[in-house]
Amino acid sequence: MWMKNDDELVEKILRGDDVSFEILLRPYRQGILNMAYRMTENLEEAKEICQDALIKIYKYLYKFKKGKSFKNWIYKITVNSTYDFLRKKKKYEEIVESQKSLVTGINHDPEKQLLNKEIKDKIKACLQNLGPKEKTVFILRDGEGFSIKETSEILGCSSVSVRTNLLRARQKIKTQFEKIYPVEVRGVKK
Amino acid sequence: MKCKKVQRYLPLVVGSDISKSKISEVKAHVEKCPECRHEYDSYVLSLGKTKEWLAKEREDWEDREWQQVVKIAIGDKEPELSPLAPWPFRKVWAYVMMAVFAVVFTFFVIRPGFYKEGVIPGTRMVAESQAKLFESFKDKPEQDIISMTMVSKDTGLKIVWFFNKNFDLEDKK
Repeated sequence: MWMKNDDELVEKILRGDDVSFEILLRPYRQGILNMAYRMTENLEEAKEICQDALIKIYKYLYKFKKGKSFKNWIYKITVNSTYDFLRKKKKYEEIVESQKSLVTGINHDPEKQLLNKEIKDKIKACLQNLGPKEKTVFILRDGEGFSIKETSEILGCSSVSVRTNLLRARQKIKTQFEKIYPVEVRGVKK
Repeated sequence: MKCKKVQRYLPLVVGSDISKSKISEVKAHVEKCPECRHEYDSYVLSLGKTKEWLAKEREDWEDREWQQVVKIAIGDKEPELSPLAPWPFRKVWAYVMMAVFAVVFTFFVIRPGFYKEGVIPGTRMVAESQAKLFESFKDKPEQDIISMTMVSKDTGLKIVWFFNKNFDLEDKK
């Protein structure tokens, strides 16, 4: 039923009813924000990504195929916007780092690193160990509750690839978890 | 199923992400093998805690902020339309249809009333203007001699050539 409603709203927007755009996106607003937030670990950056994604969604709404899942489509756009953002950020950080090292030389501050480590949330740290693809698959499947098939549709890859990335992500999280909570994990019944 | 294979499947078994038959096969092994059981429990715990955290730590937009983001996304522009979009959605189609209609209407409905019977449409006005042009030339005397003048920039010397209507040189000054 929701799919039919989404199709109707898309048609309304294409006829010029802009109010329907907000109605169409309202059910997914929290999902796309959290998706971007988990990928960046920065709320402001996540909002920036969502803004970019929303602009693309509105601009390319005519490309959305009737009868397909609108939810999957907007998640796909959000994931791609997130990747674009992370690529740009990485490039920017590389430039800043190279400029810094030119001026001051390579400088590691162990005290600061230790402090950061303490501040970092434990589970957040687990997620930070994942590669971008593993993280995306994990967030979509275990965070947002998409099925393997839906995740593969969103990411534009095969179900096998999704399963492989999911398997690696869960393995890494489990390994990290054992380091963080050694007592609890050892305490489970054998 | 051997322990190595079971442990390879465990991350997918905890989320029910493989076939039911494989899940039951793995679970049957886990029930018997304490080492695999320990691994399985570790996966269940880590995945459960992470999922719980992901569900609990969800962020949301402030309503005003959300409205603002949507407003920016919409902007002043209308959403783009597919070049193959059906006519009611595509303005260009509407304009083309109107233009075609206007042309057809002009040629087949309005135009026949403008010209007289027996005259080919479109030729009448041209013929009239050509006749007027010939009339204007009729009264003027025929030109027999053409002159061509050259003036030197440096010395100011002036040479004039005269040609007849066959462009033969008649005179030079």
